[in-house]
Amino acid sequence: MSGIRDSLGRVGHDLLAAALSACGREEFTGGLRVSGRPGGIFHLRGGLVVAVESPGAPGPEALLLRSGRIGGEQWADLVRESGGSRWPLAGLIAHGYAGAAQLRIVCVLALHDAAFAVVAGDVDDCERAPDAQPLAPVGLGEIPARLLQDATRKLAAITALPYPVRPDRERPRPPAYVLDEAGLGMLQRELLAHVDGRRTARDLAFRTGRGVYTVTAEVARMLAEGLLECADTPVPIAVRVPPEAPVVRRREPAPAPPQFTAPTALPRRNPGASGITESLVPEKSGAGWKGFFRLRNGTSK
Amino acid sequence: MDHKALTLEMRTLREQVTGITDTALTAADGLLIAADTADSIDPEALAALAAAGLGLARRTAEATDRGTLRQTVTYGSHGCAATYAVGDTALMVVLGDEGMDVDRLHLAARPTLDRIESILTEKASEGV
Repeated sequence: MSGIRDSLGRVGHDLLAAALSACGREEFTGGLRVSGRPGGIFHLRGGLVVAVESPGAPGPEALLLRSGRIGGEQWADLVRESGGSRWPLAGLIAHGYAGAAQLRIVCVLALHDAAFAVVAGDVDDCERAPDAQPLAPVGLGEIPARLLQDATRKLAAITALPYPVRPDRERPRPPAYVLDEAGLGMLQRELLAHVDGRRTARDLAFRTGRGVYTVTAEVARMLAEGLLECADTPVPIAVRVPPEAPVVRRREPAPAPPQFTAPTALPRRNPGASGITESLVPEKSGAGWKGFFRLRNGTSK
Repeated sequence: MDHKALTLEMRTLREQVTGITDTALTAADGLLIAADTADSIDPEALAALAAAGLGLARRTAEATDRGTLRQTVTYGSHGCAATYAVGDTALMVVLGDEGMDVDRLHLAARPTLDRIESILTEKASEGV
């Protein structure tokens, strides 16, 4: 794919190569922040690269957690034990989650993988960050030029494949036909379980806890063999807005309830206001029941 | 409302910030508007949770005199979930993996949220 080859000789790559070689020459200690997509940061000590971190590649922590070597709660316990260190190296070894040599290898792999991710992406600018501290530095640093050469070689290897892909561009999906997974390798089965037309090789690397170079190369091979497909159009996003309920309309203030004013005096009853007297048969004369009682009790009136 | 423009904004944000895995747009009452999520995620449940979470965060900010709420971020061992208010009637939730640069997401999300709010307000003014 010409897009991949283009990125090798582009200004960004030259910029990174020049900045890294200057750091090496000057035996710089600190960070070299690479802006771009995915970008990242190279940590150097005395001119040697001791760590590379990039959003484009899983770091040592993600590799351990995603691969299932250690659970999230155990990791949190180790971080607490180590006084908040983001890379609880001593705890990992003491609790038997991994050996010292294994952790060194994980860190070296993560360093090379992140360098590959930066080189495979777009580099806009490089800026030194003397105070930046590495998360999980390796003991023996890499010569910057050699590290860059290794990353470039990997990118060239992927470019040479029949169906080259970039780590953060193509979003493969399973093939339309039913696939017999019997003859597939473990990584291929794992990738088939996670591809959905939305995830890139980089996303799949994080998902499976594997290196982004390994996953990118495997995705490229699987695409070439027809084990995966790349859709021309992205997975559509459904927009649901109920027509009768404009859910995003700005709320109008509710009408104020009728004011209730408390009466200042007790209510006064007006005789005949209820109308009950009109519904009763009116007395025809004053000599009714009242007169009868007056006569019987002998009142003066 | 311009559905195409809305989905384009959501997709562009995912393309723009490395590590974004899913995005969902929901009304403030938790009703889902649009979701760009993996099959493993129930978008309706995500919408309801995000709305409830943002509501709580907003009340917390008010009760503690923290000013206007900007966003909430929930961190887990496999990534994080950031929820942003879109005006006062909608919200957007963005899920990312461990590699996502959250500061970069906040920077990239602001203009996207403004544009999404315009698209949504456009719909409301039409009275559909």
